[in-house]
Amino acid sequence: MSDVLRPVELTAEQAGDIPAIGQRPATVRFPPGHAAEDGRLVRSARDGDTEAFARLYERYGRVVHGLLLARVARDEVDDLVQDVFLTAWRRLSDLRDPAAFGGWIAMIARHRTTDFHRRDAEFVNLADDIESRGADASEQADARAALAAIRALPQAYRETLMLRLVEGMSGMEIAQRTGLTPASVRVNLHRGMKLLREKLHR
Amino acid sequence: MNDDTRHDYLWDGSGEPDAEVARLEALLAPYRHRRALPPLPAREAPPRRRAMAIGLQFAAAAASLALVTAAAWSAAALRPSGWNVESLAGAPSVAGSRLNSRSRLPVGALMTTDAGSRARLDVALIGVVDVEPNSRVRLIASRPGERRLALDRGGISARIWAPPGNFFVNTPSSTAIDLGCAYRLDVDDDGRGTVHVDSGWVAFEYNGHESFIPKGAICLTRPGFGPGTPWYEDAPAGIADALTILDFSSTDDVRRPRALETILAAARPRDALTLWHLLSRGTTAERARVYDRMAVLAPPPQGVTREAVINGNRAALDAWWNTLGLDSASWWRIWKTPWK
Repeated sequence: MSDVLRPVELTAEQAGDIPAIGQRPATVRFPPGHAAEDGRLVRSARDGDTEAFARLYERYGRVVHGLLLARVARDEVDDLVQDVFLTAWRRLSDLRDPAAFGGWIAMIARHRTTDFHRRDAEFVNLADDIESRGADASEQADARAALAAIRALPQAYRETLMLRLVEGMSGMEIAQRTGLTPASVRVNLHRGMKLLREKLHR
Repeated sequence: MNDDTRHDYLWDGSGEPDAEVARLEALLAPYRHRRALPPLPAREAPPRRRAMAIGLQFAAAAASLALVTAAAWSAAALRPSGWNVESLAGAPSVAGSRLNSRSRLPVGALMTTDAGSRARLDVALIGVVDVEPNSRVRLIASRPGERRLALDRGGISARIWAPPGNFFVNTPSSTAIDLGCAYRLDVDDDGRGTVHVDSGWVAFEYNGHESFIPKGAICLTRPGFGPGTPWYEDAPAGIADALTILDFSSTDDVRRPRALETILAAARPRDALTLWHLLSRGTTAERARVYDRMAVLAPPPQGVTREAVINGNRAALDAWWNTLGLDSASWWRIWKTPWK
């Protein structure tokens, strides 16, 4: 990993604040092997290799989707994911350290959500219905309630739980894709799940 | 918390299923990411470094065209109206209003932090800047090729991953130009600045007077004088104080000969960074003494003469720089073009 992204060795507890995925917390740490592969793919993509960029999409599509779903209506998310990756495709040359792709794409995703928010007005008028797929009205209502409860959690918990419960990623995958340490992810998952249970059973 | 992640269903789905987690997984699975990557438009091949000055202009033009044709999805992210800002501690003031969580710092607006507050700025897709307590910053410009802050007082920590020469910080006595790096910049109430570079390079520039500061080095800047001479944090004792005298005193100051002697006597080969900067400062006699010492510590390449160096011949200075293992001088010159 580059010096630019050199991590400061802090546990989540030491840091005092649980880091959020879309931010660039002091604990960002992309595993060297994973980051090296990202770097290789980014360099190929810069040369016009669409297959390499498709691999980056495979690696980070769920992360971007989860980060966006934590902030904006489901109806908007799919289009936004594509916007984020098209932005990244066009601006790959701006990325000085190819191995930092994960943090960079997360930052683009956060920027893209800005337009969907106004301060103090997040998640108003969301449209999160699951069209088709055989879900009955009761399941849809439960799903909407669960999604709303996750979104009401503090940012770090909501993002991590979105990736785990919605995107189906394991804790280790979340750590590898977001740059958070496994310990931070584990803290986010367990503390977030505890809060989520309280909200759902209130 | 137990570090053992084995058989932790919430961690990776292994072990005894947690009924609540499993129910949520099933309930929320329909929301999962499924859409394929859309067809990608053709992209330009990246410009080569040695043609970067031209390449940057071409890229800017291409980017502008792309922005027009793809405004629906990119205009928001690139709009020049300001940067996102969030509070890291306390309640910073943004454009005269208290910031409790997140907001936007418009171009031209002022942000201040008090003793108990900190804030983080997203530098329009190219990096982040943490504004430390007791600071006052203004957003001067945010457009492709120029993201510029003014740090009137206080401190910032910047991490920038854009190509060099895109991010600038005006201070009362110099402009700090990011050359792809992470650094800490402080300015006191008298406008005196200090930069500590954690990775990459930073350039200080004021009225054509410039300093290049690499990872692990420090450089001061003073109103009326501009940037001083960089030195490595592990430089021998006495060098920093002696440089302060040489950099920020008139050439007839009686302390200068002794200060120069201290530097030359203590310098190691690694301190050629410092001596190289001194080759183009001070009096002719001082530059001659610096040349003689540096020639011992890091001999000049063939063709670089004492006379040329002392007289400030740019080609000779660049050629010597190129032998110091500090990256190519021509690289710096190319990157300097957009600053002017």
